[in-house]
Amino acid sequence: MQPIRGEAVRLENVWITYSGAGKPAIRNINLSIPFGVLTLIRGPNGAGKTTLIETCLGLLKPIKGNAYLLGVNTKDERIFEVRRKCSYVPQDFMKPPYEHYTAKKVIEMGLSSNRVITDPLPDYFQYELEFYAKELDVLSLLEKPIGILSGGQQQKVFIVRALIRRPKLLFLDEPFSSLDKESREKVTEIVVNYIKKHRGSSAIIVSHSFSKIEEYADIIVTINDGVITDIRFQR
Amino acid sequence: MLLMIPLLGALLSGFICGMLGYYVQRYGVTTLSFTIAHSALAGAAISLVLGFNTTLFTLFFAVASALLIGYLTSKSPIRRELICMGLFSLLNAVAILMLYMSSTNVLSTVQLSTILWGSVLAITCEKIIAIVTIAATFLVYAVIFKPQIDAILFDQKLAEAEGVNVKLHSTILLLFVGSAIAIILRITGGFLVFSLLYNPVASALLLSKRANIQQLISPILGSSVAIAGLFASFMYNLPVGASIALLSSVTLLLSYVSRVTINYMLAQRSVRSKEGIGEAFTVHLNRVLIYQNVSDTVRFITVPAELPTGTGLPSETQRSPINLLDS
Repeated sequence: MQPIRGEAVRLENVWITYSGAGKPAIRNINLSIPFGVLTLIRGPNGAGKTTLIETCLGLLKPIKGNAYLLGVNTKDERIFEVRRKCSYVPQDFMKPPYEHYTAKKVIEMGLSSNRVITDPLPDYFQYELEFYAKELDVLSLLEKPIGILSGGQQQKVFIVRALIRRPKLLFLDEPFSSLDKESREKVTEIVVNYIKKHRGSSAIIVSHSFSKIEEYADIIVTINDGVITDIRFQR
Repeated sequence: MLLMIPLLGALLSGFICGMLGYYVQRYGVTTLSFTIAHSALAGAAISLVLGFNTTLFTLFFAVASALLIGYLTSKSPIRRELICMGLFSLLNAVAILMLYMSSTNVLSTVQLSTILWGSVLAITCEKIIAIVTIAATFLVYAVIFKPQIDAILFDQKLAEAEGVNVKLHSTILLLFVGSAIAIILRITGGFLVFSLLYNPVASALLLSKRANIQQLISPILGSSVAIAGLFASFMYNLPVGASIALLSSVTLLLSYVSRVTINYMLAQRSVRSKEGIGEAFTVHLNRVLIYQNVSDTVRFITVPAELPTGTGLPSETQRSPINLLDS
């Protein structure tokens, strides 16, 4: 079955099993996510949400079935090029106190996949860095080592890093886990505005705790025990 | 002048191993490089028995095994540690079998003892030029691809998710490691070459928590133990490889003792001074729970009489490993 053009993500009968695990982490997953939508993946702890998002990105390869990211099979060698059009904020983002890279350097690293040392940063970098950093209240922390920032501050830095890549597809795994209520709403607003501003871009958010994002989500996918139990289209 | 070439060779061997060892550790390819080190030994044994040029054949074998390991670990569903351990056993068996099946002439040669135990006589101008070339090429590579390498050093999984070809860069690193080992093998000996690759960086990790300092300390320690090992070998008529390996192990042990001592002193100071790096929070059975910001540990130590105490724990402790060294 050929991937349909215009699909950001397509999963066909996908099974994922971790090495040494007795049963598959996700099984028989069929999912199609078009461009220009905000998708929320929700479910209880251990349901397979992170496995699903990492399968979409091609970080995990299906033992059965096929996963397509921006029309390219995740088993294809070209997956590296495709991933350059995507951004990811992982769930386990915390860095230890001795991590010496500054917050600004960490954000700059987000643009490293296409660069060698002689390539300048894109023209928009400084403007968008200041814009997102100001919006998320981390502007004054940019020159500080990432390791000394709190969990919430580090999470915001990773969100800025993801956005500044101007991704076609934005993957956020539990992006509200370390944020206060005000910051959660701010991140939701920024992601929604990003999709509106960058027409055709999509965002896939994994969350099990925050309901505000549900109001804005175009698609809500519910996963439980490794199986999609419900897909709801809101618009 | 007679001593200059071995000295320079030891200095450069220690430097390149310490430098590459840092990246090997941060890339998480320690087991892979360990296997490559033993493939170089197998290559050397085969070349000795078949009468090939040992250095060139060892280099070929190490590079081929680096490429094979890079390919297998990226394609195979089997965990890479298992692949590496399987290959490690196979390559060691090949090395031993080749030597066992070889003629008595080979077994009695100086070349054999050089490959197994190392020799200062193996350090030649050509080898020094080769080491300098490998080190310089690696530095050029590390500078050109600094953005990607930094991204991998910072967070390998995130770098991969953002389109950095982590497996390619890991394979390139293994190629450099393989090439360096093939040259240095005859200086330190096949069974001990990896001690120069791992012990300096392990010591650096203990001596400093800051990655940029570790990056600096590791080659300096590598060079220092290599030179000291060389001198020990000269003075006491010992195999140079074993001398270097022994000194690097002693350095590692001293680094561990230093780290434990520094942690203890910092914890003590923080108890005495309320404005220190940590704070005392709860008293329990003559012991105090200390949150120590610098070493990222939580530990119990004895309570001084004048100790000011508070209540509760900072939220950061939730993400800190608990280390009850003194309890």
